Amino acid sequence: MLKSFALVASFALVAPAFAQEAVRVDQGALVEAAVAQHILPGFEALATTTQALSAAAETECSPTSEPLRAAFHTAFDAWMGVSHLRFGPTEVDERAFGLAFWPDTKGFTPKALGRLIADEDPVIADATDFQTVSVAGRGFFALEQLLYDPRISTLGAADYHCALVRRVAADIALSSGAIHTDWVNGFATLLTEPSEAGSYETDAESLQVIYKALDSGLQFDAEVRLGRPLGSFDKPRPTRAEARRSGRSLRNVTVSTAALAELAHILSSESDTIRADYSTAFALIQEQATDLQNDPVFAGVKEVQGRFRVEILQQYINRARGITTLELGPALGVSAGFNALDGD
Amino acid sequence: MVSRRRVLAGLAASSLLPSAGWASVGAPAFLSAARAPDGQFVLTGLTETGDISFTIPLPARGHAAAAQPTRAEAVAFARRPGTFALALDCRDGTVLARLNAPEGRHFYGHGAFSPDGTQLFTTENDYEAGLGVIGVWDVAAGYKRLGEVSSGGIGPHEMRLMPDGQSLVVANGGIETHPDMGRAKLNIPTMAPNLTYLDFSGAIVETASLPVAFHKNSIRHLALHSDGTVALAMQWQGAEGAAPPLLGLHRRGGPITLLAAPERLHGALDGYAGSVAISGDGREVAITSPRGGVVHVFDLASGTFLRGVELEDVCGIGSRAAGFFFTTGTGAVGALGDSVRQQPVQFDNHLVPIGT
Repeated sequence: MLKSFALVASFALVAPAFAQEAVRVDQGALVEAAVAQHILPGFEALATTTQALSAAAETECSPTSEPLRAAFHTAFDAWMGVSHLRFGPTEVDERAFGLAFWPDTKGFTPKALGRLIADEDPVIADATDFQTVSVAGRGFFALEQLLYDPRISTLGAADYHCALVRRVAADIALSSGAIHTDWVNGFATLLTEPSEAGSYETDAESLQVIYKALDSGLQFDAEVRLGRPLGSFDKPRPTRAEARRSGRSLRNVTVSTAALAELAHILSSESDTIRADYSTAFALIQEQATDLQNDPVFAGVKEVQGRFRVEILQQYINRARGITTLELGPALGVSAGFNALDGD
Repeated sequence: MVSRRRVLAGLAASSLLPSAGWASVGAPAFLSAARAPDGQFVLTGLTETGDISFTIPLPARGHAAAAQPTRAEAVAFARRPGTFALALDCRDGTVLARLNAPEGRHFYGHGAFSPDGTQLFTTENDYEAGLGVIGVWDVAAGYKRLGEVSSGGIGPHEMRLMPDGQSLVVANGGIETHPDMGRAKLNIPTMAPNLTYLDFSGAIVETASLPVAFHKNSIRHLALHSDGTVALAMQWQGAEGAAPPLLGLHRRGGPITLLAAPERLHGALDGYAGSVAISGDGREVAITSPRGGVVHVFDLASGTFLRGVELEDVCGIGSRAAGFFFTTGTGAVGALGDSVRQQPVQFDNHLVPIGT
């Protein structure tokens, strides 16, 4: 009874500024395009490159091994290409956190690795057992410390260190493969063929989850990947840059924003205006990232000039985010309300 | 002997208007932050019939507020991670004091007065340590900071005065954030929310937690009944579709019990409860979900789901003698299941009860 009354009341009285506009895009087609052209290729690349990483670790487990380090970077790039797609298969059994535990505000990763190595914990002997280890001791950031951290790369007996490198690499491949398998064997269909029995009931719901991935991906790049090392003007935090040990802080942002640009272009394919706005915004991001090439780990945030360049990159990413929330969201019919959007 | 000058100073500080009680501002039943059509953020007083009894401009988007129990004075908190709060004379909007969060702290947007209105308690983030604190402020001294105590967890959000008048209950949401990184959540894999009871000295008198499987269910908002029942509203940070219950009930000394609507209806909440209230008669408890555009009402004694009421962008909810009062982000306000009116503002997250 109230439901109908409330609906009538809101149609009759709601101020035009708060009203939702009619949706004119083919939501189902956009979901299909995002899945086929962006999501599935991204997770396939993750599965393939992490297999190669595990194979490289089997061949050579020394932290200084060039083939191993190269395979690490290639696989990490693939993760950056999908790290914004945090729904469905990535969230089963903490797979995504098991691949990338960052930020690590309390230093859990070095503690977890230190404990494994000090105890020569036999949990690393078995793939399934290892998945019970804290997510802080697994994934790309654990492997990064095992390969690049001056202390942890040389910690403990060489044999155990080698076995741990191999196990962490194999575990990354295992989780990545499982994510890809789940996407291919069912989850993609749940998104592209929404139904009352599935996870998503309508095309709008499917589209909204992909839209949210774009928005939160941009947010994470700007606020965390750049915001964390920027800190504040008085207290810059260069040592908090993501993946600084392997020298890929900027590269992570570059690869991630390139992937987000790809998704943004797919989702804006039915609006020339929005698509053009995105092209401009992402071109600026790329240009500014190129300008930062000589500061791959954002060490420059300590100095005015270097800080300024990182802040500009952050502003450009925020501009792309503004296009997402102010233009794309309303056009797709997935915008949230005043309270729904606030989330607190 | 008090000098004449001091008397005058005292008069000026407490404003020269007569009759300082809440009746002087149209006897509002609730406070709510809102956004006016011109974009101006405001604090409003709302009567039980949905009239706006006063409107005071705010310098930025508000979140919740705390109502001084003895006079028409409110502390409006900025939206997280705000570093200021304003003590306002609700008769004319005079800013009585500006509360600045100390260095290294920011407000979460909620606070509570002591029963006599002499002290204000605020939930805050010690963000370098990543720990929650409760700030303590001396109201009579112009909201001077007295000190702070641990909140008993990370990410304290809503805090309420318990009906015993001697303790506070804090919803430690469990989520670590840092203002350098906006509102990004930094510790989802390891988060551990809890409900903490503190006495006014800051001693923790009880902590209640959720089952381990629900450690990603962020406890954010609270409602109380006069018998000491605490209702807690949660926001799920885990895999979507996992959909654990988003409403809990707690009584001192017992476990947290969890309530949820039947599966298909529960899914409509989208893993997110925005506010919670217990009806004045203690018979019903309700949570709102702005994301799902729905209110879920339960029988408090049995925990049985009673009904869902769909309302676009609904979030604010407060208790009436029987039933509930609600507000929405589209400006609707009314008695749930009974009446609805339209006001030309967008009501922000919460309804703050006055006089309880």
